Amino acid sequence: MTLPTQDWFLVVLYAMFWAVRINGCVRRGRQPLLRGREWFFNVRVQGGFYDGPGKAILRQYWLRMMIPFAVDIPWAIAIFRSGQLFQLNFLVLATSALIHANHLFSVRIAERQARAYAVKESERPAARLALSLAPRRLRDYTNPVFEGVLAVLTVSSLIFLVGYYLASPPHVSARIVFGAPLFMLYTQAGMLIIKRAAIAWPSPVPTEHAEEHMHASEERRRYYVRLWDWSRAASVASLVMWPVLISLPGAAGNRALAIWLGACLVAGVVATVLGEIKRKQIAALAARAMPVLLPDLLASGGAGWPVCYQPSAPVLMLKSARGYSLNLGNSIAQFTAAYVAGFAVLVFVLTRMAP
Amino acid sequence: MFLTIDTTDPRPIYQQVVDGIKALIANGTLGEGAPLPPLRQVAADLRVNLNTIAAAYKALHEAGLIVVKHGSGAIVASQTSAGRSEEELVRPLRAALTDLILAGLSTEKIARIVMRELKLAKESR
Repeated sequence: MTLPTQDWFLVVLYAMFWAVRINGCVRRGRQPLLRGREWFFNVRVQGGFYDGPGKAILRQYWLRMMIPFAVDIPWAIAIFRSGQLFQLNFLVLATSALIHANHLFSVRIAERQARAYAVKESERPAARLALSLAPRRLRDYTNPVFEGVLAVLTVSSLIFLVGYYLASPPHVSARIVFGAPLFMLYTQAGMLIIKRAAIAWPSPVPTEHAEEHMHASEERRRYYVRLWDWSRAASVASLVMWPVLISLPGAAGNRALAIWLGACLVAGVVATVLGEIKRKQIAALAARAMPVLLPDLLASGGAGWPVCYQPSAPVLMLKSARGYSLNLGNSIAQFTAAYVAGFAVLVFVLTRMAP
Repeated sequence: MFLTIDTTDPRPIYQQVVDGIKALIANGTLGEGAPLPPLRQVAADLRVNLNTIAAAYKALHEAGLIVVKHGSGAIVASQTSAGRSEEELVRPLRAALTDLILAGLSTEKIARIVMRELKLAKESR
């Protein structure tokens, strides 16, 4: 079978996605028992739980992990049969989102089922909680040199693109020159919002083993911040490569594309392995800090619906008694709302540009 | 370095925050110029209303213990209550001593308690 370079890249990327998700399935499958047989996720269960009702709860949880496969396998078959392999991009994105959402809901269901067999004392919220007095501001998690390099590279490639477009013949499309870079820039802005949310994410801990809890929570926060920083760096690297790829003539352009895609694959494999190692270290730290229910001093379960005002929660959607509610109570939630609206505008503008 | 909040404590949460930060300043854990977390961070971590923490920071600011800089958070101003008269500083101690006397404690016992608490407050310095 002869496939263009981009298509080979997509097929290999999809194969890598499968390897990562199988590993993710194994990891998620082990999560309920991470702290031993006395625990089911964060619920401390009675003795013999896994020989009795826990067996069925665990089996149902494992079965729910298969839901995304039922969605994406038929979709993938349809894509391969149609030959429109670029759609694999959308399949990977949509399946990743589905896996994540399915896992969140599945854990919630499983924990709720297990709570009926929980050790009663462990279900009482701790009376005392501790909070770190170390400030968590964006600048505390930002490396100015790193940000400076990203900014210089971004601006340089945009200047080059503008120059290239102005100097090119009239038939060269603005969408081809600027479409992908605009999308990458917008993605970077989204990653920055996620980074801010990760920094602002509340992390109260019980006073019992407060140091271990704080250490685990801070390590997790730093992992996510680094993850989004390096994702932005990858996006900037693509932005830098874009002018090179579109300005090189035919054969040279194809060769550069093949080299670039090969480098992306190698970097992807290395980043995945390193990320997995770090994730395991964080999981081990989190397992050492035994989960404790914390008191809800704000009684946030009473949040309004469909719109609520919750300045302390750095998220756009909050769970209320009647379902999910729109929160516009702080700048992160407001930026997220503006970002979602802006994305629709960006797609509209890109589709209106002459092809 | 962390602050503890006890839901069974009869003191309101803002008072616990004030007392907790005061204690950390007094025992030297929070030195002069040390940055305090932003209001929003403390409110989110404790899951309390922003105004609760704003009231606590205001009380600390009025006591001259922290300096609140708009947009850049708060820092510990000084480990001494600069600008406050001795009379003003002694007033809460006098009230506490009155409570102990009314509780029927002997002078020796009160003196022992005061010395013990003083030692505890300065322990980490």
